[in-house]
Amino acid sequence: MAAPGGPARTRPRSRQTAVAYLFLTPALLFFALFLLLPLLFALLLAQSRWAGFDLADIEPVGLANFTGLFAHGATFLTPVLTNTFLYALGTVVLATAGAVVVATCIDNLRCQGLWRTLYFLPVVTTVVAVGNVWKYMYEPGGLVNGVLNALGLGSVALLQNPGTALPSVVVVQAWASLGTAILILTAGLKAIPESYYEAAELDGARPFTVFRRITLPLLRPSLVFVSITQFIAGLQSFALIIVMTGDGGPGDATDVAALEMYRQAFTYGDWGGASAAAFALFVLILAITLVQLWLFRRKGSEV
Amino acid sequence: MRRRRFLAGLAGAAAGCAAPDGGTGRPGDPVVLTVLSHYGSEPLKSAFQKVLDEWNAGHDRVRVRSTPVRYADLLTTAMVRQAAGQGADILHPYTLWAGQLTRAGVLQPAPPGAAALIRHGFTRAAVTAASVQNTLYGYPTEVQTYALYCNMRLLRAAGVTRPPRTWRELEDAAYASARHDGHGNTLVQGFGLSRTEDATVVGQTLALLASCGGSYLTADGGRAAIDSPAGRAVVALERRLIERGASSPGTDLYRAFPSGRVAMAISAGWWTGSLKNAMGSGYRDVRVVPVPGPATGDRGTLTTGFLLGVNAKSRHPRAAWDFLRWLNSDETRGGDGPHTGDGTPAPRPTGTAPGRDTRLPGVTRMSALQFSVGSMTGRSRDMRALLGTTGDANLVPFLDALGYATPEPNGPHAQKAKSLLRKNIEEVWTGRRSVDDALRTARRQIDHALSGDP
Repeated sequence: MAAPGGPARTRPRSRQTAVAYLFLTPALLFFALFLLLPLLFALLLAQSRWAGFDLADIEPVGLANFTGLFAHGATFLTPVLTNTFLYALGTVVLATAGAVVVATCIDNLRCQGLWRTLYFLPVVTTVVAVGNVWKYMYEPGGLVNGVLNALGLGSVALLQNPGTALPSVVVVQAWASLGTAILILTAGLKAIPESYYEAAELDGARPFTVFRRITLPLLRPSLVFVSITQFIAGLQSFALIIVMTGDGGPGDATDVAALEMYRQAFTYGDWGGASAAAFALFVLILAITLVQLWLFRRKGSEV
Repeated sequence: MRRRRFLAGLAGAAAGCAAPDGGTGRPGDPVVLTVLSHYGSEPLKSAFQKVLDEWNAGHDRVRVRSTPVRYADLLTTAMVRQAAGQGADILHPYTLWAGQLTRAGVLQPAPPGAAALIRHGFTRAAVTAASVQNTLYGYPTEVQTYALYCNMRLLRAAGVTRPPRTWRELEDAAYASARHDGHGNTLVQGFGLSRTEDATVVGQTLALLASCGGSYLTADGGRAAIDSPAGRAVVALERRLIERGASSPGTDLYRAFPSGRVAMAISAGWWTGSLKNAMGSGYRDVRVVPVPGPATGDRGTLTTGFLLGVNAKSRHPRAAWDFLRWLNSDETRGGDGPHTGDGTPAPRPTGTAPGRDTRLPGVTRMSALQFSVGSMTGRSRDMRALLGTTGDANLVPFLDALGYATPEPNGPHAQKAKSLLRKNIEEVWTGRRSVDDALRTARRQIDHALSGDP
């Protein structure tokens, strides 16, 4: 016995599928051209030696580029990946913590749209402008040192000291990405039902207890999204570092993976090494993201 | 094998036309040669265009067009255009990149005739800088040597009456002339150390290293040699200057010296032109002397430069080499520059505006061009003739240094080795590593980079 409506129903469905794929074709072509093709080319380069000048000179070398990244004397693991990880971690901690505080404050204020807009302004400002303004503020004669001097303290060359250079750039990256995090967290705060707060008030809960027991747990899905996206952005960061410290200096204090990849490819002509480093970074980002998801899911959050 | 053939096919398909633009190709149309250089800003842009106009006015069949970019974009542009099959016929790279470019097959070796002219006309250091494994790849153009710039006004104010001749005198003068405010901000650096760029970190360090007979790579360029007594002495000297407050690497040297905030600094010859413009009458206080060595009479410095070579993919290599010979080797019969009736050069007043026509009989067009913008070529005879037209004694130490300066190593991984050296020098400057530790790390990292295939 045939299934109800068998062949007669299948034909229109397959036609629908064909039409759906037809509509999807432009998007699929776009992804193939600008995502898949470069990805495959990078995979090919990661296993090749290429100086970047002539495509005919691409020479297969197997896994040598990957082993070269971690060989004795190579700088990729330490300090490049270490700096990258610390930079991303610092950005996430500062931006997320700052955004939670600011979003909670905004949620209790009037003119919330205005506040959100103000905090979002750095996001729409070009990185070059942000980096240069902060760079001047950090200089020995700049605003930050002016404040220190006014307080009777000596000047600190924040971007010239290897101990303070990376934290100084982390602060700027966190400040610049605060707006996006605030936007997402304020939306998350709005989604928390008011009845929970009313019940807590009836039970006589203190504000900090309400924040810790109600707000934070119910904000967790938004926090997961913010921390994961901020971490990925931090791991891929390039522009702010190049504007503020130029070459990842002083020494290699602010040398991060994306900057190193750029230099390997465009300055040293080692496209194979740069592509291998890109894949290593991809694996690192994937691993960190999966760990973050696992940690949050263990506590009952879904993203 | 099949994979290589596939890649070659891919290359052809992706690149489209794999040769540089050489004109329309129609019979009767002139050949158009393109030059990729960093002569995109004044006064070099106008000076170079003037020479090209002269060539174009006298050569109907071969035209030359300049496609300049910023120096910072020069290597990247050459790389991207070459990969896209749009490489220029003539390239003007920094000699540090020569090994990288020849290894990638971008530059073609100079033909025997041109090579003979270059070996005959240019100093040994300039020829070495434009060669890779003893093969010449082009005409050395602007050649820079390093010397010590002294602001005599600041030194005199500190009780120092003459420029230093030894490291001891250099240190004493630096400590005496340094000044700070109450918050520890540096008002005057005694000796200018700066993280501004490779030249201010590695260039000046290698000049000091050469002054005590050291080098940072072995003679064959295959291994690091910086972890040596000479290397340790130089980096320790720099660290001492910083620790005792005579140097402050956070300052931009190129802004601080002209504004009277640096008493002494080691830099290349091109800086004289910039300082004249920036300092005006204050330039009178600037005096240039050879880089001091550990003891009186120790002599040595660094030389760097650019070369003009022909793209291996140019469709008109012969025309390109003809143009380069005309520009770099053919001696002119004199232009409308300053010279007396009997052919001897007339004195030119100090501070003559850059870009002015300085052609003299027997001087190449490139020498005249470089000199007009305050720079030099590796043709010391030309330079001496041109120097006779000016009263700027500060250029003499740079010219003298052409005879004894050590060329910057230019192997396939030279840029990477230089960057690694810079990072480790900065590690010492900032106090994060000891001299011994930093130089040991530099040796390990540079050896790894130099052995990288990949």
